[in-house]
Formats: sequence, C-alpha cells, structure tokens
Amino acid sequence: MKNSQITIEKPPISSAHSVSKRKKKVNSRMIAFYLMVLPAALLFFVFHTFPALQGIYYSFTNWNGITLDYDFVGFKNYLNLFQDPAVIDSYVFTFKFAILAAVFINIISLAIALGLNAKIKGRNLFRAVYFLPNILSVLIVGFIFNYVFTNILPGLGEKYGIEFLTTNILGNANLAWIGILIVFIWQACAFNIILYLSGLQTVPTELYEASSLDGANNWNQFWKITFPVIAPFFTINMVLSMKNSLMVFDHIVAMTGGGPGYSTTSISLLIYNGGFSGGEFAFQSANAVIYFIVIMVISVFQLKVLQKREMDM
Amino acid sequence: MKKTVSLLAAGVLSASLLAGCGGGEAEGSKEEGVVQIEFFHHKREAIETIDKLIAKFEAENPNIDVEQASPPEPSTVLRTRVSKADVPDIIGVGGDVTYSDLASAGVFADISNDSSLDKVQPAYVQMLKDVSGLEEVYAIPYATNAVGVIYNKTIFSELGLEIPKTWDELLSVSKVIQDAGKIPFFHTYKDAWTTLPSFNALAANTQGEDFYSELNNGKILAGERYKEAAEKMVELTKFGHKNQQGVAYNDGNTAFANGEAAMYLQGIWAIPEIKKANPEVDLGVFPFPATNNPEEIKVVSGVDLLFGMSAASKHPEEAMKFVEFMMEEENAKQYIDEQNSFSALNGIAQEDPTVSDLQASFEKGALTDFPDHYIPNGVTPDKTLQTLVLEKDVDAFLKKLQADWEKVQSRK
Repeated sequence: MKNSQITIEKPPISSAHSVSKRKKKVNSRMIAFYLMVLPAALLFFVFHTFPALQGIYYSFTNWNGITLDYDFVGFKNYLNLFQDPAVIDSYVFTFKFAILAAVFINIISLAIALGLNAKIKGRNLFRAVYFLPNILSVLIVGFIFNYVFTNILPGLGEKYGIEFLTTNILGNANLAWIGILIVFIWQACAFNIILYLSGLQTVPTELYEASSLDGANNWNQFWKITFPVIAPFFTINMVLSMKNSLMVFDHIVAMTGGGPGYSTTSISLLIYNGGFSGGEFAFQSANAVIYFIVIMVISVFQLKVLQKREMDM
Repeated sequence: MKKTVSLLAAGVLSASLLAGCGGGEAEGSKEEGVVQIEFFHHKREAIETIDKLIAKFEAENPNIDVEQASPPEPSTVLRTRVSKADVPDIIGVGGDVTYSDLASAGVFADISNDSSLDKVQPAYVQMLKDVSGLEEVYAIPYATNAVGVIYNKTIFSELGLEIPKTWDELLSVSKVIQDAGKIPFFHTYKDAWTTLPSFNALAANTQGEDFYSELNNGKILAGERYKEAAEKMVELTKFGHKNQQGVAYNDGNTAFANGEAAMYLQGIWAIPEIKKANPEVDLGVFPFPATNNPEEIKVVSGVDLLFGMSAASKHPEEAMKFVEFMMEEENAKQYIDEQNSFSALNGIAQEDPTVSDLQASFEKGALTDFPDHYIPNGVTPDKTLQTLVLEKDVDAFLKKLQADWEKVQSRK
C-alpha cells in the first residue's frame, strides 16, 4: 500500500517547484487538461450517476414504473427484500457463479498468457485467436452456444451413443448454470489474457537467467519470480473478473432467460425482469441499491487483501 | 474566465447529446400538412400484414403517415416509454396485465361511449372490463386467439385415431401413439412461456366458476384451485419426448411441422409459424379436452390484439380514423386470414379449415379467458410451471405460486 502511494504522489511533489516558477503557462495547460477530463465526467454524471441517484430515490417509493403518482413507503421495499426467496435464491446463484467464474478465468487466462508470452511459432496468430471472443457481441455468442447446446451436442451424443450429451444441459435445472459458466469463462478470458500478457512482459529476463544459473527449475521460477512480479496484475484481474461475473446478465438472457424455473436467474436479471416487465420498479430499485453496496464492499475488500498480499511477496 | 468558457463548452456538448436522445418527437410533421401517427403493437408475426394495411390506408388518406413500431420485448419497451411520457398514438397490446396496468395508469383515452364498440362482440368487451377490474373501456378488441390441441392429421389417420373429446380419451389416444413408437406431444419446455397455453386451457376449465369473483374480493385461490390443472400438466409430461426440457418454441415448431409428433399444445398463433417451416403439413386444431365432461369444456380465447388510443395524443382524430379503417370488414378479414386468428368483431368468421373444429365452440359461445391474464406480472407463473414440468412436484408448485401471488399482491 505504502509503495503505491509514494509512486502516485511523486509527480505532483516534484512539479510543485516548477509550478511556482511558471504559474501562468501551467494554468493554460491546466485548462487543456480540464477540457479533456470534464466532458467525460459530466457525461458520466448525467447518464450514470444521476440515474443511479434517481434509483435510490425511487427505492423509497411504491412506484410500479408507469403510474403518474406514487407514495413514499420508507424502508418497506428494503424489508421485503430480505424476506423474498426469489431475491435470496438469486444471490446464492450469483455468488456461486461469480466465485467459480473468477477462479477459473484467472487460472486459465494466466496459463494461456504464459503460453502466448513464450517464443512459440505463430505467436501473433494465437494472440489474435484468443483475443477474438472479446470483440464478439455477447448476445450473438450466447445465441450461437444456445444452438450448439440445443442441436449440435445432442446430435453428437445421439450419433456416438454418449448418453449425457443427448439432452440439452441448458434445459436441466441442475446443470444449466454450468453451460452458462463455460461460455462466460470462454469469453471473459480474452480480456484477462491481455492484461496478464502485458504483466508478463514487465518481468525482467535477467531474473530468469540469474535464477537458472542458481539451478531453479521452471516451477520455482514461476512461483518465485513470475508470480510475485505480476502480482498487481493478478489483483486487478481478480477484482475485474469478480465484478464482471457478479454482474452477469447478457449470457443468461441469450441462453436460458433465467430458467429452467428460476435456476439461473442472476441478481441483475431479476432486477431487470422484475423492475421493467414485472411492475416492481421501486422494489427492484431497492434490490439494485443493496446490490451496488454489496459489489462495492467486495471490490474494496478484494483490493485491500490482495494489495496487502502483493507487499508480502 | 477561460475555465468558465470550457465548462460552458462541456455543458453545451452534453446538453446537445441529451437533445439527440429526445429528437424523435420533433419529427411530427416532416412534410407540409402530413400528420404522422405512431402505431405500436406487440404482434411481431403480423408486421407484414399490418404493413400492407398501412399502405392501403395511406393511399386512401395521403395526409396521414402511419408509423409502425413492433420491437422485441414489447411490454418492457412500452412501459419504459410510458414512464418517460413518450406514448405512441395507437397502442396494440393483448387483453392482459399490460392492458390493465396501462388502463389503470390513465395512459389510454376512455372510449366507453364510442360507437366503434358496437361492432365488437360483447364477450370480449366484458373480458377487458374483467381483466382490468374497471367499469370503463379503454380499448377496442380487434383480434382474438384460442388455445387448442394442434394435431397432425396425417399421423392421426395413419393410426386410425379419432379426435379425443374427453381427458381420458386424450390420454388413451396418447398411449396409442406412444405404443406405435411415435411422440404424442412435442413439448418445448426450454421456453418457459410454452407451458402456459396448456396450463391456461386446463386451469380455465378446472379452477371453478367463482375463482375471479373471489379474486376481486382479494382472495387468491391458486393454491387449492390449480391442483387439478397442475396434476394434469404433470400427466402430459409423460407423453413427451426425450429432450423436451431442452427444446425451445422455434425448434418445436419446426420439429412438429416435420411430423416428429402427433400433437402440439399451443395457441393457434403457432400455426402460421409451423406452416412456414413446412407448407405441406396437414394440420387441425381441436378444443383442449381438459375434463371428462365434453358438454362443459370451454375453449380458452382471449383478446390477442386491441387498439388503445393515447390519452395524450396530438392527433386523436387521425388515430381514430386508422382504427376505424382497420375495423372495416374487408381489412379485418384480411388480418385474421393472414394471421390465422379470430376476429373480435361481429360477423367476421374465420373460414380456414385448419381451425374448423374450434368453430363450433365459437358459435355456441363456449369460450373463456386466459387465467394467466389475471395473474399479476411480478408472479411469473411460466417459470414456476417450468419447474413443475421438470420436477413434477405438484405440492411445491401450488405452494410457490400461491406464495408468489400473495407476495406481489401485498407489495402493491
């Protein structure tokens, strides 16, 4: 923690001296910088922060999304939230999904990134291939896999007599989440691989040379050199993949629509369905507020724990 | 000073972006004297038919430009638009919770005393009153649908089968088909909503006469009255196919069109889709034999498309003119012919031989509304039914549906 603070604060301290000298010039430069920063901040406020604040406001009402008038109901929505089995089920599903997704995404991405960082033949081609899922639309990917699970896999199962393939796993309440998990991981890995790859390129090659002189094998090199050096990348990848998995939505819409039954209804999907078509706008706004707090707490917690670990290494 | 300028610049920039989002409203009168009205509807299957009718209308009325909008997830889109007061001039939805919510929210103009309603069969006007719980009428029922058992005539004649008239006969016919090595019903449980047509037919005939009146008194009877329907739903799952929980509606239409099963539990809206997949298929529809008393069996039929006029429309006369045009006999006939639906208007009959077995029920008025139109939107009975047909646990189903319904009711 301390380390990173020092590096962040350094530039302002060193430039403080020059500021007093050429105040005017810096001022005009500052305006250019503000011009770069402000429009985006304003847009962010108008399209993101403001609607979010509105959502908090509505979460204390009983608005159903279309009527012209509504009443304030205080914390009633929040109290109902904790008694609603649908909400609790969706939390259980989402956390199960997100934890597994985050773990697998990081293991697989790191393994693939190590391979792509090595001097293999056709390295650029492989890099392109592994980045491809990231630029495909989630919905299209979802529909393609929907077709694979519904038609192609059962067809193969039929042909080769593999019993468990003959039925669509997306139609099985106990297995549907695995189908979604596979597709989610496949697509999410692309971005995490890029981050790990850039991390791996920061590892100085001299360290490997020195350690191999000392007789370290590949396994030792990975755990003692590679992993500690790319620790900050591990932190950011864990946080990002956890956050993205917690907010899983598009994949589910495209593949199961939350079914069978409610078995793959994530929290985001529940908020969307209940809020817009279910006429529970205020109630689901309350759900969204709670969920926002939950994700924030988890992300901050992860950052704290993982950054502490970075220093220990 | 410069700072304020830049702030202003950024403000103008974002304001212009905002303006870009709301630009649609200002396009009202592009050409001199041409009035633009918007017709928003939920019948994506009917886009082509309505295009043709609009072209004809615009030829007759060159000063009116009708814009058709029919997005996916129409109910969600419509609710979002209503919530930001961007209401289409004419709204075409079904006679279900969407209608009742919009009517209660004051979105529609009150047309209780409009002469157009005289052209409509009173039963369907009554359905709108029942489903919304309001005495006023806020829309004109236009087209109606029906749920039955769609069957493959070729397979039925190959096996020498008669149309079943009672529940027991339906089961024995299914048994014969199964014993002959064929699939009796092509279930498509992957899409949760496809459980609703057969559930509606079963529940409407078994829930009891006083179900809705008790509901209006605030008493929800789902837990006890849906028992028979739920048990029969489970019974039907036994006559399905191996991958029935993994196949969705579109794939089901194709499979049924290709003769993979003898019967299909869907509304008549599926027929055009099935025929698209295989124009040669010889189909029929018989009333869903939900009980063992053929005299009392009613066909579930609801308002599939109604026209509601926005209370805030800037061009109410032009909008009404278009609706009246749609209700002219020739045009109403064209709509039901191309859409394979029934008309809510007096004296316009569906003559397609496919649905002739249902005609008798329509003539003697043995019709009843969709029970799920009375279930509040937040309950999502389709998902609970999907669980029922997978797990086959009737008690758990009844308990959950009752609890969900009470939960949604208590939050209002």
